[in-house]
Parts: sequence; structure tokens; C-alpha cells
Amino acid sequence: MTEQTFNTDKGYIALLGWSLNAIEAADKFDRRYVVVAPDWAEAYCKEHDIPYVPWNFERLNDRSFEIAQTLKDMGVDVSIPLFEETVEWAGAINSVLMDSPRLFGQAMLLRDKALMKRRAQLGGIRVGIFEEAHDKEDVVRFLKRVNQTLLKLDGDPNDPIHLKAFDKAGCLGHRVIRTPDEVDTIPEEEFPVLMESHLDGWEFAVEAWVHNGKIAFLNISEYVTLGYSVFVPATPDLEKYRPQITAEIEKLIKTFDIEFGFVHPEYFVTSDGTMYFGEVAYRPPGFKVFELLERAYGFNAYQGLILSFDPKTTAEEIKAFFPKEVVDAKGYAGCFGVYPRRRVVSKLEMPEETENHEYFESHELTPPVEETVTKRTAFGTHWGLIYFFGEDPYVMRDLLKHQEELDFYV
Amino acid sequence: MSDSDAGGAVPAVNFDKLVQRLDEAIAALADSRPFAKAGKLPRLFDTARRVMLQPEGFAAVQARAEQLEMAGVFIGTDWAEPSILLPFLTTSALQSPNADTVVIESISELRLLAIARGEFLHPSMSAEQAHHYLTQVLAINLSLLFGEGGEAEREQGKLALISRGVIQHIAQEIGYEHVIDRLIDEIWRILQQRPIQVTSVRRMITQIALCRIDPAIDLGGAGQGAERLISSLYGPTQACREDPGIAVYEDRLLSMDTMALQSEATGFARAMHDTGLVSPYHAAFVRHILEKQDSLLTEALGLSSTGRDCLLCYKELVHALISAGVFPETAQGLYGLALLLERGILYQPPVAPALWRQVLLTTCPAARERIQLAYGYSPAPNAWLIQGVMNMLGQPLGVGQGNNPTCQSARALSMWAYNDPDYLLQMVAWAARDNEIIMHFEGKPVSSARSEGGVASEITLDLDPVSLVVVPHLDRIYAEMGRLCADRPGDPHKWVNPEFHGWSAGRGFAINVDVETGNLQDAEGFLRHFYASYHPFYNGNQPLIHPQPAGVAVTDSAARFIGWHAITILRAALDPEDVMRVYFFNPNNDSGQNWGGDIVVSTARNGERFGEASLPFEQFASRLYIYHYDPLERGEPADVDQDELQRVIDRIHNSWGRDRVPANTSLQAEPPPSDA
Repeated sequence: MTEQTFNTDKGYIALLGWSLNAIEAADKFDRRYVVVAPDWAEAYCKEHDIPYVPWNFERLNDRSFEIAQTLKDMGVDVSIPLFEETVEWAGAINSVLMDSPRLFGQAMLLRDKALMKRRAQLGGIRVGIFEEAHDKEDVVRFLKRVNQTLLKLDGDPNDPIHLKAFDKAGCLGHRVIRTPDEVDTIPEEEFPVLMESHLDGWEFAVEAWVHNGKIAFLNISEYVTLGYSVFVPATPDLEKYRPQITAEIEKLIKTFDIEFGFVHPEYFVTSDGTMYFGEVAYRPPGFKVFELLERAYGFNAYQGLILSFDPKTTAEEIKAFFPKEVVDAKGYAGCFGVYPRRRVVSKLEMPEETENHEYFESHELTPPVEETVTKRTAFGTHWGLIYFFGEDPYVMRDLLKHQEELDFYV
Repeated sequence: MSDSDAGGAVPAVNFDKLVQRLDEAIAALADSRPFAKAGKLPRLFDTARRVMLQPEGFAAVQARAEQLEMAGVFIGTDWAEPSILLPFLTTSALQSPNADTVVIESISELRLLAIARGEFLHPSMSAEQAHHYLTQVLAINLSLLFGEGGEAEREQGKLALISRGVIQHIAQEIGYEHVIDRLIDEIWRILQQRPIQVTSVRRMITQIALCRIDPAIDLGGAGQGAERLISSLYGPTQACREDPGIAVYEDRLLSMDTMALQSEATGFARAMHDTGLVSPYHAAFVRHILEKQDSLLTEALGLSSTGRDCLLCYKELVHALISAGVFPETAQGLYGLALLLERGILYQPPVAPALWRQVLLTTCPAARERIQLAYGYSPAPNAWLIQGVMNMLGQPLGVGQGNNPTCQSARALSMWAYNDPDYLLQMVAWAARDNEIIMHFEGKPVSSARSEGGVASEITLDLDPVSLVVVPHLDRIYAEMGRLCADRPGDPHKWVNPEFHGWSAGRGFAINVDVETGNLQDAEGFLRHFYASYHPFYNGNQPLIHPQPAGVAVTDSAARFIGWHAITILRAALDPEDVMRVYFFNPNNDSGQNWGGDIVVSTARNGERFGEASLPFEQFASRLYIYHYDPLERGEPADVDQDELQRVIDRIHNSWGRDRVPANTSLQAEPPPSDA
């Protein structure tokens, strides 16, 4: 493409997984790139002259080394995982490209929620009570024990526990269990799972770009309601913890021995200001937080990703690229994930109050395909996102919260 | 609006901010890579939708029409090329329950409005074309302009505000009072060309009629001229003036005496010959009198003595054609029948027997299916085909290519209908019965069934029944013949045209464009020879004997080149003002076009017969790029006036030849020719 202006003195990067936004960001940036994606992407890449190497990430076998060798032969310097499923691939590939076997072990740690909690604990990071469950019995026992610890009597309402799949992104497969009866609703195939005690606190996420083992840019994403809504930057109420949060992230970087790239951890902060580590991912966050950041700050978060992964990036480049947190933001960008509230829906109808709100930007909702809404058992797939942008974080927060009471599908 | 407490009361829409968001969305689309454009569209569409829900919204989008198109809103969609948009498709798009369809259609209409107003200089569409298109859009969507919301609108919900609003905005910008009257003028102008396909004209007239009877719509003084058009379809005579329905009318016929029937017959005939439109009542009437009072048929068809003679000679055949082919749905066939009788072509020995074959023809499943797709299940496909045959033989210059790039096939059908009717009937029989046409190219058989494909990837259904069945075959044969001479130097039309159209196409071939470079070549020799072959002053006053295929470089109203187009030269003669004109047939559905630089193709009032287009000789010559001639009839090339030739050459250089002047006289770079 004639529009590309690649600097051959800089690194050559490989994007693992298919994300058009990431590809476009790379295409507009000054680093040479190649997309590594399953072969269904081939026709599209050919048609649009997108540099492409086919690879099937689902098939693991003794040929897996080939992709690392292919990329190495092409002169690629580093690979960047775009999805949870490509994190260990990136670890494996980068350990070859950079001749650093520990990167693969690091990736495995970052892929397994139980392992990552243990490692965090070892690094002196505070985590909640957690255990692995292999069957329903384990879940019941854990629920009882957690509530005993809390000195609950029989008949008192239980504190809930959280169940999460080991290796899935974000809220996928996340369940909340309050009573032993609810344990029966868990399908056998979901085991093994990670169980965690419920922390009464304020959950938030962090996106941190890391270069030379130091934080290049740290964003705090405020969840209004987990699984529903997020906005950046956070309200001053949460931003006031920034120094502590920064210290926590530095601890995390050290514990996990992260030299470069990007981490996306989740934390709870309790009413007394104690931080609890939830989990960490080594890939872009869901809920289009990258797009929100671009809206709020004007920098392309994917290009930031490329910079922070590229071993040939200089400290000056990093400094010039990233804005100053919070103060450089032009406003607050948030999004809301819509779940249908009714059991039977026939069409998409944006509430007028949402659509006419000054902060409302756009939505990605599509008309319903089926009339009956599948009962939601776990957190997970929303039907589309709605984007907002405005000047006041509190208006933003209340607006996002209010969306939960509206019907978008009727 | 509801009164919830989302951050306080429901805020009023901040229009400036909304428009700013639209600009941001346009910029995001414009900045994005081609492979990622699709991902930016939902945001743009949704923002545009919200903008258009505001009172000033349409003007805001109109003002951004150029940016929107440049950003790539239409890339890869049906709206990408405005010059091929069909006005009648706007109705279903605007009434779609899908927001994106409504939004992109509305953006496209506003773009055309910007073009029509001269705010957006579009590379492939002129202001006049856009204006013309919008007039038709308004005509077809009159119900959105004036009418009450129908079921489709209720389904749309709030979206209907946009569909309705965009049409009203266009009407306001173009002027309400002109809409109806201009539309009526437009309909008359098209009808004067006596097209065979009148579906869209009927639809427009129906819309006007609905608006006029709707008490909720105030047309003011407009629309008076529609009376004749409406009555010719819905109540041409005394006994059906109030449009009572076919069943009631048939009852009335039973109790009519001869005098009353006589007056009905003349009433129908007058309406039909006035407008070229046939009322379904007319068909009911003709079927009624056929049984006992067939002496009224002459009056009912409005025949002159020629037509009457012909009718009397071939009475049984005419009866058979009517009973098998004329039903209220296919009433239009009556007009074809009347003109067919007037042409006297039944006196050519093979024509009557060929029509008998047509009456009894068994159609193949493929032909039946196409007819049923286009026209429905009643009456039978064969009836539609008979109607089509009668219309084509009666109105050979009424053939149109529809929305297909198949001007050559449409031209061939017209030429045969005009010149060689039994050959046309043979083609129809082969295509409709055998699903295969075989022609010969320099002795080698070329089959439509074994061709790799035609010029058009798909032939649309907006065609008359004969074209519907025959054109797919002709198009494939034409393309195959082109492939057979692909490796020959020069323009393939040289060999294909005579083989495709028949022996009467001249074997001499002249072209003034060098196919290799696209440059003009020997413009003077080309024109001198054209004058000597076709201009009566230089060819010994010899009228053209057979219609000849020719090619023109079509230009828009700004005299910019649009494309190559196939036409038929019919005759060259002095018009009522004593100007020498070329009369020609253009298979395009509407011949009245502005080709720029004071060249406006006339279709009436300059001595044209129905369906003919005409231009003064000099103007016509300036758009010609291919013609055929008889090498043995040379004329007097030396007599042609040098000044006149120079004027024509100047016109070429000022229009489609602007960038085609060979390099030795100009240093401009040359794009390769885009021959159709």
C-alpha cells in the first residue's frame, strides 16, 4: 500500500490473532508488521494487501515450532498477542525470536488463573482466598468454609463465592454462587474452575504499557458495574489511589518479571484502601478499552502496544508517544454492554433518552436474530456496546449506571 | 421523550455537538485504510441517522455530501455509482425497516441534491442528471411527500421520519410546485417516445392519481395536466370513468347497445393513441366484442384504412392473438397490435405463419421462469410473450435495454423488428421454445447455450417479455463473437456487427479512435466518408435503405465523456425547419439526453417518428465514433464542405476527444481506452 511509511531501522512485529483495529493501527504506524491468523483470513488479506502468515492457533502439535522459525526467517523481532488464546503462542514464539526461554514460562503463568495467583502471593501481592475445584463437591465445601470463616450462622445469608474458568478472558465463564443449590446449575464440562471468595470492594482494571521493565503509561479503568460498563479515565474518587496502584503494578511487573509489553490486571480496593489482586492478562482488554483510550486521549493504544513490544523502541520514542495520564485527557469515554432484559424480544429500539443524551456517541447493537433470549447463567457475551463521551466523570458514571435500567431490545 | 433521571432530566439534543460527531465519524472513515472502512461505518450511519432526525439535519448532511462520498461511504455498495441508480428502487430502500439501508439511501439522495444544486461537482454525474433523477424519485415517492403513513412506515417506527423528511427536504429544495407538474411533463416526454416498457410510467401515474384523490393532500394548482394520463389508465371511457373495477365493467358491457359499445370503442382507441398507454378496461372490452361484435375491433384499435385492410385479411390470426395474448394484465399488447396492423408487415409472406407459431408456442421452463419472475403467474407466460411480440413488432423503436449493459442486443431486437420481422419471430421461437439460439460467425456456429458468458453478468427483469427471454441468449452470442475475434487487431465491432445484426449491416467499417491508444485517428477522413455515405446532399440524395448499426461516444451535459454506446442510424432527412438531421434509435430507455455543448437530443417536434431520437447532422457527427457503410456506394467525399467538417472536429476536440488528441500535436499522457 502506498500510504505506508515503514521505518526499516525499527522492529518488525507480528500480530497474533485477527483484529482489524489492530491491523489498521499497524498499517498506519511506522513499524513493519505481519498478521498471523487462521487461513480463513487469507482471502481478505490478499484482497487488501495485508501482510499475512497463516497459522491455526487451535492445533497444538510438534509442528508448533514452525511458526516461530517462519517468523524468525522473515526477520520478525517480536510477536504481540491480541487475544487470551494467543498469549502462550506469543510467549513461545518470542522465546525463540529473542532467544529467551523464560518468556514461555512467563506466558504460561499469565495464562493460568490459579498459577498466576500463587505467583502473585509469592511476590507479596495481596490476593483473596482462592482454591481450585475439580467437581461440585469442592465448590460446596469451599462455599461453606468461606462462610464459616466469616462467622456466619446457619440461616444467615451466605457471602457469595466466584467461579472462573482458568484460561478464559475476562468475564467469560464467570459465575457467582451463593447457595449449595446453585452449585447444581454448573455444567460438568466447566470443571476444573478457580474459586474465589467475594471481596466487598471496588473493582477496577488497569492497563499498563511496560518498556524496559518500567511503566510507560498507566490507565485506570473504572467499572461502573462489572460486565456492564467501564470508562476512562476514572473518577477522582478512584484516581486518588493512583500512587498506591502504581506501586502495586510495579510490584506486579517485578513479580512476573515483565520487561516489555502490556499488562491488564484487575484489582479490588476495599473501603480501607487495601488493594487485592484479582488477575492479570498479557493482552489488550475486552470492552474496547483501547478504543475508549483513543477517544479520551487521542493516542492509538495498539500503536502503543507495538512500541512497547518492539525491542528497537527507544525511551525517547516512548516519552514522545504517550500522553500524561488524566491531565492530557480531552474528556471521559465510556461504554456500556447491552444485555436484553426481556425473555422475548423482537426488535432493537434505542431508548430516546440514551440516544438524545449529549454524551451519547454511537452503538454497535444489531437487530435480534432470535426472539427468545437465552437465560444468562454466567457473565459473558453482551449483545453489543454503546459508546459515550463527555466532560464530567460523575455524569458519565451515573449515565452508565442508569443504562442498566433501560430496555434496548423490546 | 420519557422523563427519567439519567444524569438529570432528559437533555435536549445538542445539534452542534451532534454535527461535530458526524464530522468526526466522517474523518475517521476518511482516514481509515480501505480494509478497515467497513468497521467505521456503523458509527457513521448511526450518527448520520441521529443528525437526520433533527430539523436541520438534512441540510447538514447535504452540506457534507462531498466529504461523505470522498470518505468512502458508498464504496462497495449499490450506491457507489450514482449514474446507474434507479429511481424506483428508492421506495423500498426508504421503507426498509433496516436503519442502515434508510440512512445510506437518504445520504445518497442528499448527495444527489447537492449535485443538482451545483454544490458538489461530481466526476460522473451532472447537475441536470441529478435533478432529473430526483424529480423521478419525488414522483415515485409522492406518498412520502403528501400521503398518510402506511403499514411499511408503521413497521419502521422513528425511521419513517427520516424517509419522509428526506423526500420533503428534496421537494422543498427543488420546489414543491414544480414536482407534480414537472413529473407530468416528464411522463409525457417519455410517452412521446412510445416505449414498450411502461411499468415505471404506470407506477408514476398511479402515484399522482392516489395523491389527487387523497383529501389529506393539497396539491394546490398543480397536477391539472395529469387528467389525461390518469384517465387513459383508469377510466378512458364513459362506462368506466369512475374506475369501477373490471368485474363491474364487464357487467355493464352485457347491457350495452351497439351505439354505446361504439362510443366505448372510439373512447378507448382515442386514449390509447393519445398516450400510448392501454387501460385494462380496454382489454376487457376487446375480449367482450370479439365474440359477437368483432366489427367494432377496427374502432377499438383506432385503425386507419391500412390497418383495417390488414385486419380484414388476417382476421383469424388477429382473433387468435387477442384471445391468447390480450388480458387486462397484458392490455398494453393492444397498442402493439394496432401499430403492427398499421405497419402492414403481415403482408410479408413469412410473418403471419410465424405469428401462428407464436400463438401455439410451447415455452421452455427457463423462459417461463423468467417471465413469471418478472410478471407473475397470471396470465400464462405465453400470453405475456404474445403481448411482447405484438408490442415489439408494432413499436420496433420502443425497445429498451432496461438496467443492463446490453445495448447491442436491444439494438439488434429493434433492428429486426423494424426490418426483418420474421427473423425476430424466429429468434423468439428459438429462445422461448428451445432455450438456445445459434448464429453463425464467419461460417462457424455460435450457440448461446455453449457460450462462456455474456457482457452482462446478470440480465435484470425490468424488460419487456421478448427482451426478457431473448436478450440473455443474444448477449452471450455477442460476447462469444467478440471472443472469437479477440486476437485481431483493431475494433472487434468491425466483424461482429455485420455477423450479429445480419446481412444488411454495411460491410464497410469506419472508426475514428485508435483502439491501441484510445487516441483520435483520421477524424477528417472518417467524417468526410460519413457525410458522403449518409448525407443526402453528398450521396446522390439516396435515403438510407437499411437501418445501420453505429457507435456514439456519449457525453454528459458538461460534454464530458461517459462511455461508448450502440445505436441505430435510421435515416437522414430535412426536418420541418429544413435542417438536415440524423434520425436514430437509442436502445437506452430514454433517448432525450443532453450531451453537452448545446447538443440536446430531441425526441419530438423535429420530425421524429415515435421512438426516434434526432440531432442536426453536424451535431450527430461530432459524437459518432463507429459507422458501417456500403463500400460500393461511395458518394462524393470531395464535395463535403471543409468548414463544416472543421466545425465537427472542433466539437469533438471540445468534448469526448479532449484527451484523445494524438501525442504529436499534444503532449498529454493518454489513458488506455475503456471500450465497452
